[in-house]
Amino acid sequence: MANDSKIGVFLCDCGQRIAPLVDLQALKEKLETEPGVAFVGREPYSCLAPGLEGIKKAVREQGLERVVVAGCEARLMLKKFEQQLGETGLEEGQIDMVNLRGHVAAVHDLSPEEMADKAAKLIFAAAAGLQALTPSPKEKVDFNGPVMILGGGIATYSAAQELLRQNIECILAVQTDEYQDELRMLHEHYPGERHYYERMEAIMAEVDGSELVRRITVGELKSLTGRTGNFTVTFISPDDGLPRIYHAGAVIACLDGQMLNQGNNFGHDGKTVICHTEAEEMIWTTGVPSGRIVFWINDYEAGHPEFAYLAARTAWSMARYMREHSPLTKVTILHNHQMAVPLSAGERKLGRELGITWIPYDGALRPTVQAGYITFCDPLLCTEQELAWDKLILSPRRSVGLEVTKVARVLGMEPKDGHFLEQHHAKVRPEMQGRDEAFLAGSARYPCDLHEALRQGRRAAQKTAEIVHKAKAGELYAPRMVCVVDQSLCVGCGLCKEICDCGGIEPVEGPGGNIPRHVDPMVCTGGGTCAAACPYHALTLQNNSTAQREARVAELARRLGPQEAVAFGCAWGGLAAADNAGVKGLKYDPRIYLLRVGCIGQLDPSVMARAFLDGAPGLLLIGCPPEDCHHSYGLDHTWARVNLIKKLLGLCGLDRRRIALAHADLNQPEQYIRAAEGFVRLLAELGPVERDPLTMERLQGLYDTVNNARVRWVLGANLRRPWEEVYPGDQRNAMSFDKSFMDLISEEFVGVRMTQLMRKQSQPMVLGELSRALKEDESKLVDKLREMVSEGIITRIHKGGIAHYSLR
Amino acid sequence: MVSFKINGQAVQAEPGWTVLETARHHGIHIPTLCYHEAVEASGACRLCVVEVKQGDWSKIVISCMYPVAEGIEILTESERVKNVRRWILEMLLAECPGSKDIRELAAQYGVNSTRFTPHHPDEQCILCGLCVRVCKEVVGVNAISTVGRGVHKKIGSPYMEPSEACVACGSCVTVCPTGAMRARIDAVRGEPKVQLAPQAK
Repeated sequence: MANDSKIGVFLCDCGQRIAPLVDLQALKEKLETEPGVAFVGREPYSCLAPGLEGIKKAVREQGLERVVVAGCEARLMLKKFEQQLGETGLEEGQIDMVNLRGHVAAVHDLSPEEMADKAAKLIFAAAAGLQALTPSPKEKVDFNGPVMILGGGIATYSAAQELLRQNIECILAVQTDEYQDELRMLHEHYPGERHYYERMEAIMAEVDGSELVRRITVGELKSLTGRTGNFTVTFISPDDGLPRIYHAGAVIACLDGQMLNQGNNFGHDGKTVICHTEAEEMIWTTGVPSGRIVFWINDYEAGHPEFAYLAARTAWSMARYMREHSPLTKVTILHNHQMAVPLSAGERKLGRELGITWIPYDGALRPTVQAGYITFCDPLLCTEQELAWDKLILSPRRSVGLEVTKVARVLGMEPKDGHFLEQHHAKVRPEMQGRDEAFLAGSARYPCDLHEALRQGRRAAQKTAEIVHKAKAGELYAPRMVCVVDQSLCVGCGLCKEICDCGGIEPVEGPGGNIPRHVDPMVCTGGGTCAAACPYHALTLQNNSTAQREARVAELARRLGPQEAVAFGCAWGGLAAADNAGVKGLKYDPRIYLLRVGCIGQLDPSVMARAFLDGAPGLLLIGCPPEDCHHSYGLDHTWARVNLIKKLLGLCGLDRRRIALAHADLNQPEQYIRAAEGFVRLLAELGPVERDPLTMERLQGLYDTVNNARVRWVLGANLRRPWEEVYPGDQRNAMSFDKSFMDLISEEFVGVRMTQLMRKQSQPMVLGELSRALKEDESKLVDKLREMVSEGIITRIHKGGIAHYSLR
Repeated sequence: MVSFKINGQAVQAEPGWTVLETARHHGIHIPTLCYHEAVEASGACRLCVVEVKQGDWSKIVISCMYPVAEGIEILTESERVKNVRRWILEMLLAECPGSKDIRELAAQYGVNSTRFTPHHPDEQCILCGLCVRVCKEVVGVNAISTVGRGVHKKIGSPYMEPSEACVACGSCVTVCPTGAMRARIDAVRGEPKVQLAPQAK
């Protein structure tokens, strides 16, 4: 992969914080002796204007194509270097940083020469990683077509209003022909919002009257394909059942949640005991009922205390309307004493004036509904009370609704049963456009009132408008570190789409009938666990590839001493904790060499295997705390990969503990230190790895096995999916799965080693020779040999009655 | 190129560089708290004061934002400068008695006690706003800001509630000059991150 780019290394004194502690002169000389580094510079402060000038001058004069800055935290400073050095033509990905201050100078009690040794190893590793970089061209995102707002939720109108105010064309995909119909049905999703209807109608009329808005009446959403800037949306027409295809540059989904009545629970009968929606319906049709009305905020009893606030607001709003329109109605609101009355001071005053009574009840005793009465326990008097009613109004049951779930699935979300659509996939970039976050609006995200739904619609439209304006100005570029699919390698198995947590991977119709995938760069978060899982290495995280990480770890591993360990730290967990250990000046064992990685899930098992193949005695992976992963399941996925390497290390005759998975919170640098020190102590106990020919041959086998498509497939199939709530550690048939997995690995391990051996030999080999060379039992080999013959990988020739095998 | 003197040493700088940058480039130490290379200088802590002499007048300026000029003379450790720094450190001691870093820094200048009424004994934050600037300029999310005014001013997310904008990157913790952010980040990033209905509290 070496493409002989000129690499420049810039050492930073950081005032007094690096220079006297690390012998930078010795380090400079050491770096200059090796061919991998074309230029070594040294700056008192490389990040300040004078230092940056110095680097820029050197980059221009020396024609440097990659730069390593050995100074401080990449998490903080890399952006500045990228921005400043951008004018010299260096792009994101072509600059790397080594944290000399925080990972070497501030944290070890070593002599300046020893510090320089450690620094050199880390810098060589960074340089090797940059050497393996294949920079991708900057990709401009084309934007074609209007913005499509689909889903039919009420936020459609606020989103459309925002777009037309920003002069952006949009299509409204709705269910009804006239907006007045929607207004009439509004109370089904947002009861008690009557005071808002006039304004709502004004918004609707503004949208309906605009020339920028096209209203289409469509049926069920069938598919959404394409990528940001160029989507194809297909609906099934309700009239003739034929597909209707529309093109859109961006899609906003406005989805309203569903309100159901309480069924037979809480005395609900649909006549005297009703729910909010039914009460609203009644007010619409027959007017405000007279007599004693009791609202019971029963969300605590229904198991959803989080909805009580919203239900109480609705009740208040309806109660107010009733009192204002019917003086004969007496309204009481009965609420759990654990919840505060959700009114402002002005509303409380108004409530008193209108004679609306709020009565708290003790939640420990469940109120009981009887004909004409509701019994509850007074929390102050601790006595049971009765309240008479003519109409009892309960909170509704809220759910996402089947239709909405279907639409969400088409949009690439994975709604969990009974859960609202708001997912918190951790953000990694502020401008990141997770579909659920930026482009989803309405009460299907989470239960909310009309005002909030409309606000969400406006916000989604604003986000979309930002992109549209950027695209129209020709300034919309895809982020540089996103996944790309090599369509020639992709077999369309769909594994990546299944484990992708950002919904960025889409199928495309390919030649020959198979369906390769492509990635929407505006949605991809660059997590990279999909790339690490691809059985065929068809997915690459561009500008941050597995090849780079392999080169980096190999370079480091080759230079490590027998008791030193390679560690990978994720930028959100392990690395951040290590940086903070440096800031705090905590001292720890210097035998740990930390490499930076975006997410621990980016680490392909081949990177782990490469570390051992090139001489690392141990590998430690430090991610985020469990369930805190910024890329959803990076840590879980890595666990499965580490498990694979452990099994293979066992097969190689090495201790399984030479690879370990750890986690550290960024605010707990001590966690990182404990993990690192514990690991190097363990390595010291285990002793060095003998690098004899047999071990080397086996380690090569380990490397080949993790690149074997079949092993990678089974590994990938076992990874946690985004819709799985917790890691299935208590998986069913755990033992038998593990056993089958082990059988598979052992089989492939033997297979790749035999292939390797035959590749080296010019002569066909007999079973005995193979068995002796690999030091494996003949019985282990014979089945795999037979299989490989039948698969056509090797040929079998009989000479003198004995089978001879050779590579085809 | 602009030529001038720092502590009597002749130095050269490009127009647009600041005094602090030029001094550091030439190995002259000026203490700072609110300054970080990753963000724009804001001049909040005033600890980087230096004395600028031009002709027969001189004045105290903050070196992190003062641009270089031809012929000026900078004194980084003059008695006048030290006096101002001692004042600042004395005020900082009262502002955040809980910070070990500030106590050590003050001790270097011979400041071991303060004549001002100390704040809460555990207070560590000097309100330099570095975390706020990092959140805005480096991370780009604006999850934290200064909340309140005057003596009630503090650092946090809006309404001091866990922020949805926070990406939990920990940049604020790494840049914090006194370690005060370590105790605050959990209130900003929120535990746990998942909430079903944000308005139901």
